[in-house]
Amino acid sequence: MPDGMSVAEPVAMNVARRSRAWSRDAVLLLALALLPTTLGGFWVYGIGVCMANAMAVLSVSFLLRYGGEVSIGHSFFLALGAYTVAILERQAGVSVAIGLPVAALAGVLLGLGFAWPSRKLSGIYLAVATMALALAVPELILQLGPVAGGYEGLYVAKAPLPGIPLDLQRYYLPLVVLAMAVVLLRRFRHSRQGLALLTARDHPRAAEAFGFSRGFARLAAFAISAGIAAIAGALLAFSASTVSPNSYTLWTAIYLLVGSVISLSGLGLVAALVGGAFITLVPQLLAAWGDWVPILYGFALLVVVILGDRPAETLTKLRGRIGGGRHG
Amino acid sequence: MADALTAEGINLAFGGHRVLTDVSLDFRAGQITGLIGPNGAGKTSLFNCLTGLYQPQQGSIALCGRRIEALPPARRAREGLARSFQHVALCPDLTVAENVMFGRARLGKAGWFDAFLPLPRGRAEAAEARAAAEKVLARLGLSAFSEALPASLPPGTQRMVEIARAIVAEPRVLLLDEPAAGLNAAETRHLTEALRALAAPDLIMVVVEHDMDLIMQVCDRIHVLNFGRRIASGTPAEIRADPEVVRVYLGDPDD
Repeated sequence: MPDGMSVAEPVAMNVARRSRAWSRDAVLLLALALLPTTLGGFWVYGIGVCMANAMAVLSVSFLLRYGGEVSIGHSFFLALGAYTVAILERQAGVSVAIGLPVAALAGVLLGLGFAWPSRKLSGIYLAVATMALALAVPELILQLGPVAGGYEGLYVAKAPLPGIPLDLQRYYLPLVVLAMAVVLLRRFRHSRQGLALLTARDHPRAAEAFGFSRGFARLAAFAISAGIAAIAGALLAFSASTVSPNSYTLWTAIYLLVGSVISLSGLGLVAALVGGAFITLVPQLLAAWGDWVPILYGFALLVVVILGDRPAETLTKLRGRIGGGRHG
Repeated sequence: MADALTAEGINLAFGGHRVLTDVSLDFRAGQITGLIGPNGAGKTSLFNCLTGLYQPQQGSIALCGRRIEALPPARRAREGLARSFQHVALCPDLTVAENVMFGRARLGKAGWFDAFLPLPRGRAEAAEARAAAEKVLARLGLSAFSEALPASLPPGTQRMVEIARAIVAEPRVLLLDEPAAGLNAAETRHLTEALRALAAPDLIMVVVEHDMDLIMQVCDRIHVLNFGRRIASGTPAEIRADPEVVRVYLGDPDD
């Protein structure tokens, strides 16, 4: 047995790091909450979309962290959430306040629907299966016909709260939902289901020996991730004010994955915002520098190769090396 | 037999290769039973049949009279089987205390809402699980490490954490897969004492092990396998004196 001192030190450091993370997040949230008082409408719009995108990155990061799996198909669940909100507003006249919970539920159910037949797949095989989802999205939307607005898409313009300017609501809704998601995910990490998913990710046989089957872990991780993605889609539809098929292509799914990797698949506020900023800005920049597209594509492929069979482990190592520790 | 884990007429083959041939043996409550044999004797295969990883082609396995051979591993946990792994299988992202808490996660009733929201039932359950984990860690002398990550601990301590995880839900059967593998002499001594201290009147303990000293010191009874058959059963003294066992272990000049 080693003496207790050798481990007491890192433990104290972890505790200190965690409390630092909390206060840093609180300051960041306060700053984000105050931003619209000083910034113009363009920035408020952009940062609102960025926070919705941050939520989308969280969904992919969740699957990586808790399922140990890579998805290149989360644009499907994003589109599901976005179109749920847009179609509910157009057909039933209800705002995102109703649309968002419906989208979340639809995301979880369709996530289960996808995860069940693919529960035996993992690694690159699962990634390719999810890619099929992403490829199907634009066609599926067009198949819906006039209900989904075709190529032009639909507007989302109904304010959930009366009396507050709509452009401010488009900013504060993703902020509040993102902050809640970060807090809830931090709680989840300590729940019995969270412990089960993390153990199943690294040692499926150990999880089985303690009563949690591989299938349970796979379905749970995918369904929660899909639910988060659908919520992100709902936020994105509301914040960006429109939905259209070309916002949900295979590229969207690839950006999400790269965004998640760039944020080291952290589930904290900072990591999510870094990923969100990446996928908000890069498509804009690429539109200007079209020549770089193949390079980004190559980079994305490289990322998948580097992550290899154990993406969660690789990213944990990276996080440790960069010094972010276990936060998030 | 009432308070025992029994295997009856177990036959296991992979393709045409017979691994276990008509193996019948029992593991009694209140005893530590060793399962030994030279390499390739089939002890790990038998162990995997007990945990549910392998399905024997023939034979039955019963716990306190209840047939369990058809149950998958996750269901056997519900019947009260718990195990440790030859290669430490702790989650590297979880602290020692959290790894141990996972050992009783299946007992929890907290649903998915509790997992995300600070609801009273989930909080009470988490507090209860933590208290149980701390109690088991204290019992095994591991309290100092409860907030450490497994990777920061030496192999012997990691192994003890696995045992803590296995006993935290108070199982009826504790299956230990080569608990001394990779441990140094001091760690093995510590493990020996800990295993003796774990023995309880209603607990069935099974130890698969290479380390003869550990087996002889720890076990009340020993089953010896060779070439997929049981060749002897008895107390450590009887096993030591058994000519067949001596031949298998000492008669081979390569050993």
